[in-house]
Amino acid sequence: MIRDITIGQYYQGESLIHKLDPRLKVVGVLVYLISLFCFRYVIGFLVAGLFFVLVLKLSKVPFRYVIKGLKPILFLLVFTAALNLLWTPGETIWRFGILNLTKEGIYKCIFMALRLILLIIGSSLLTLTTTPNQLTDAMEYLLGPFKRFGAPVHEVAMMMSIALRFIPILLEETDKIMKAQMSRGADFESGNLMHRLRNMIPLLVPLFVSATRRANELAYAMDARCYNGGAGRTKMKPLKYHSRDYKGYGVLVVYLVLLIVVTRTVAI
Amino acid sequence: MQPIIDAKDLVHEYSQRDEEGNVTGINRALDGVSLQVEEGDFIAVLGANGSGKSTFAKHLNALLTPTEGTLYVGGMECGDHTKDLDIRKTVGMVFQNPDNQIISNVVEEDVGFGPENIGVPTAEIWQRMEDALKNVGMYAYRKNSPNKLSGGQKQRVAIAGILAMKPKCIILDESTAMLDPGGRKAVIDTISRINREEKITVIVITHYMEEVTGADHVYVMDSGKVVMEGSPREIFARSHELEEHRLAVPEAVKVAMLLRDQGIPLPEDILDQEELVDAVENLWIQR
Repeated sequence: MIRDITIGQYYQGESLIHKLDPRLKVVGVLVYLISLFCFRYVIGFLVAGLFFVLVLKLSKVPFRYVIKGLKPILFLLVFTAALNLLWTPGETIWRFGILNLTKEGIYKCIFMALRLILLIIGSSLLTLTTTPNQLTDAMEYLLGPFKRFGAPVHEVAMMMSIALRFIPILLEETDKIMKAQMSRGADFESGNLMHRLRNMIPLLVPLFVSATRRANELAYAMDARCYNGGAGRTKMKPLKYHSRDYKGYGVLVVYLVLLIVVTRTVAI
Repeated sequence: MQPIIDAKDLVHEYSQRDEEGNVTGINRALDGVSLQVEEGDFIAVLGANGSGKSTFAKHLNALLTPTEGTLYVGGMECGDHTKDLDIRKTVGMVFQNPDNQIISNVVEEDVGFGPENIGVPTAEIWQRMEDALKNVGMYAYRKNSPNKLSGGQKQRVAIAGILAMKPKCIILDESTAMLDPGGRKAVIDTISRINREEKITVIVITHYMEEVTGADHVYVMDSGKVVMEGSPREIFARSHELEEHRLAVPEAVKVAMLLRDQGIPLPEDILDQEELVDAVENLWIQR
């Protein structure tokens, strides 16, 4: 169950999207995420959704792979949707005690849910098609100007890429510890929230201990391979824009213009 | 020619501290270790848990600095940290846990990590990556995620990552301890071939005696000291002593030892099952 989490996972492939410059992909995702907050009508999601489907098709990542990334936030999704559905003031359709189902509520609920879903699957498409090292390189480049103010840009980027690399390993370990504790009678699935949280302690303590040990060993291994910070490093895969990347920026602009035009003219 | 590794009376002490930082006890992990390794040799360091063998290995890579004594690696003295990077370029190290030493999500990028750090030009990094992965037989997996590989395969990728830095010496610090027998064999076969073909000095740190049969020279460590040294045959002939140092003698060697104790005249330098069978057959024919 816990292995299903796909956030930060890379899906191996050779598609056009995989080959695009990571800087374009990072900028693209940022623009896309911001664009999701820039319209007030549901019609905007049609444009944003179509754009997502287009990129997904080009990337050749299976749809169910992207959907899997939604599982961990399912609770949050249902919670926000219900909250918006039942507590939005407006024209009442149905009322029960403090629950108040309104027309505006239904609209807002659909709106929020769609926005959240696109936020998650949109950003997961970035990590699915970009290796952590490319992601690091792109972030290092894009945050480059901050280096002048003494910001540890390379170090932060490196830390993020290592964190991504260790997500599946730590998940597997959590699964293992969970089973080990369950086989000795630990219970992670029943009781109220407080009870469950308390039952997490025998899971979290060994996990933290092992993560610390891993970090220590990894530091040794990086030292042994002459890692010495960003200075004097060369790149195996230096970032270079190709013509397809400029076209990519073009497509991004077209998407934005389309989104603005559609949401300004059709008010649904 | 000067030896690639030259240790004299090496001492390393770990101090235990209480919560205020006062030293409460001193743990002597290395206690006067002296040994020399010539370039191109295949050396094995044997020792049970807590014998100091891993502490010794970490000195060779300048990850730890000696408390007393001197250590020269490739003619450079360990201790002043100015030479650390040069020492690590000379001596590469493969660790025990394959997951904790692979830093990238793609095999080829991980192999490129070392060369990137030492400033190799881009085109050459690719060439080195290709050569190193072909050398360990993992080239077909270059685009894969290390998470999908077996333990033995991951360790071979780790070896490729070191090879790509073109060191003069490779240390395997218990790199086979977490592997299944098949993976263990693949790693040891790979590293002995690299030693033979590329003339790279190899130091294998282990507690599996089966892995040292191919070595040129074996050192046995216990409680921070080198207690035995010699060729694998010389070492295995002293199987009673090995057991005193908490080392498990290979099955065939142990059977031969027990038979000798019973008065059966078997030779003392039997290394593996095949040699044992031959020796017993010979006895049978002589009768």
